[in-house]
Amino acid sequence: MTSTQDTDRARQVLIRTLQAAFPHANVPRGPYERTADKLIADAAGNPFNQATLAQGLADLDALADGDFVGLSNADGYTLLKRIESTPFFGYVRRFATVNLYDDPETWAALGYEGSSFDKGGYLTRGFNDLDWLPEPRITAYEGPVKFVPIKTKTGV
Amino acid sequence: MATTKGSGGEHAGATFSQDDDSVVVVIGSGAGGGTTVHDLTAAGVNVVCLEAGAYFTIDDWVNNEWEAFGQMAWLDVRTTSGSWRMPTDFPNLPAWVVKAVGGTTTHWSGATPRFHDHEWKARTYYGRIDGANLLDWPVDGEEMRRFYSIAEDRIGSTHTNGRAPLPANNNYFVFANGAEKVGYHFYATGPYGTNAEPYDGRPSSVQDGFNFQGDKSGAKWSTLVSEIPKALATGKLDLRPNSHVVQITHDASGKADSVLYLDAAGNLQRQKARVVVVAGNSIETPRLLLQSASPQFPDGLANSSGQVGKNYMRHMTGSVYAQFDRPVHMYRGETMAGLVADESRHDPDRGFAGGFYMETLSLGVPFLASFVEPGLWGPEFTGIMDAYANTAGMWIVGEDMPQETNRVTLNHAVKDQHGLPVPNVHFDDHANDTAMRNYGYQQGQAIYESVGALSSHRTPPYPATHNLGTSRMSERPEDGVTNAYGRAHDVPNLFVADGSVFTTGAAANPTLTIVALAIRQAEHIVKSLKAQEL
Repeated sequence: MTSTQDTDRARQVLIRTLQAAFPHANVPRGPYERTADKLIADAAGNPFNQATLAQGLADLDALADGDFVGLSNADGYTLLKRIESTPFFGYVRRFATVNLYDDPETWAALGYEGSSFDKGGYLTRGFNDLDWLPEPRITAYEGPVKFVPIKTKTGV
Repeated sequence: MATTKGSGGEHAGATFSQDDDSVVVVIGSGAGGGTTVHDLTAAGVNVVCLEAGAYFTIDDWVNNEWEAFGQMAWLDVRTTSGSWRMPTDFPNLPAWVVKAVGGTTTHWSGATPRFHDHEWKARTYYGRIDGANLLDWPVDGEEMRRFYSIAEDRIGSTHTNGRAPLPANNNYFVFANGAEKVGYHFYATGPYGTNAEPYDGRPSSVQDGFNFQGDKSGAKWSTLVSEIPKALATGKLDLRPNSHVVQITHDASGKADSVLYLDAAGNLQRQKARVVVVAGNSIETPRLLLQSASPQFPDGLANSSGQVGKNYMRHMTGSVYAQFDRPVHMYRGETMAGLVADESRHDPDRGFAGGFYMETLSLGVPFLASFVEPGLWGPEFTGIMDAYANTAGMWIVGEDMPQETNRVTLNHAVKDQHGLPVPNVHFDDHANDTAMRNYGYQQGQAIYESVGALSSHRTPPYPATHNLGTSRMSERPEDGVTNAYGRAHDVPNLFVADGSVFTTGAAANPTLTIVALAIRQAEHIVKSLKAQEL
């Protein structure tokens, strides 16, 4: 195990990793922190994952000359691109893809409203409030064009 | 493993003895099994329904994508192989189906187009296609018309038999305007299996947008809210949830005589049977037949043709998500209430046989992140997610070619929670599938570009929701597993009532056809029982 295991430094590197890998201008720090904490807890349940995570985070710091946390999102992304095929990054990416986007604060930042049945659905809350295109036909077509199901009688 | 808790309880309805060999045993309670249960009990037949999943009610469903997925999805271990993306992206999730009373009807989208007449005769109309195991169905469009009409009334499909259409939601605004602009004619908000107006004791849609999570309002048809409660009310149904069937046994004459299953506690039980109907969806059904191999049926029950598990189809699918400079809010409203049928024709000039539909589709932020482009990360990925509120989405779904090498087999190297070999799903796209998908992407993107899309993304197929073909119907016993009624060629009192009987897949979403075929099969079973032929 490396010195970053279970340390705040490791947690900070992980949060920066998530921000650099999944950069969103409007998503606040909270979802990244919660995803990092969930990932640390997940890894704690499996020695292999724990070692993979600890080593990976220590390596990132080393690859960034000791300060991955201080990198910009763009520089962090460039560095992560170099290690994207490692089991460490695959584990972080898969976990974040599920958990970072399962956070109500992320939803709000991206414009997703979450549960709706408890609010009566969207029947009176904008299911058809799009105003930049005309109201389309909803019934089956009844014009002069006939649907021709087959181009040929038999065979291609 | 899905939870075994559901507020519907551990048992429902009548109680028949396990030694009662006069009952019909139905395995599965989804579109096929639920319909069979309903029609047999309505005709006075005593039925035991063994459902592997729990008995949830609509009050148990949750408007949360991952939580609902964990609650409902069939998550027993499966493995994958082949050149498709699933072994890389979702190696243990080849299919996205439900393990619960009501089966996959509890999360289906609701699109209910019929097959075109020529799609019952794919071999005749498409001709010989290299690598494709095409065959005409032993039943045709003329014969099916009556059953389609009954099935539409059961489901309450909009736009059919006088029922009203659903209104346009935001995603449909973009979709239909684009379709019109590129010159398509045959678009509408249905036919669709969710009530536009109150129907059959169930309410009209509140446009809540949660289709794949279980519909909490009851506006969407499922066997959970329609066929199962009606069947329970007859007093003729013994419904046993959390009952995972492991083997169908047979007597010396080769007739099915009982079903072995694991109950909620994992104890092996035996239910005797006069007739067995299997409706476990196209992965579990062939798995069960293969697991039921015996000295009399060494290659698996009903498998003298060698076709059990083969010709697995999952429909040619793909999605297009397009980003605009103005809000869409695609997640508001009925997810798939929008279809374009123009491309569902067979027109080999497009470079492929068969056709496809384009249908509105929306995923919430949680699912879009996982499925829009599995494996993608960084600014390209977050750019797609940042545009979420301004995104419109569609699904492209069409006929894929049956191939003998696309198949479900038993993987003896991996065991499930019961110690049983898991099913392996092997799949390679046929060249026809790839050509159709590329053309579909192009047309889908054209629809969105015509109404001002800034960009659009070609999303690959999801874990399959349409699983077909692994016990296919055939005129001749050597070409398939079941006959025109879904009766096993080799076992006279064994029937299959799910999508695995599909000889070919057609372009249409399969649920309506599964229901129509099950209605026809049940009529045949009732008649045969009365005539003492079963």
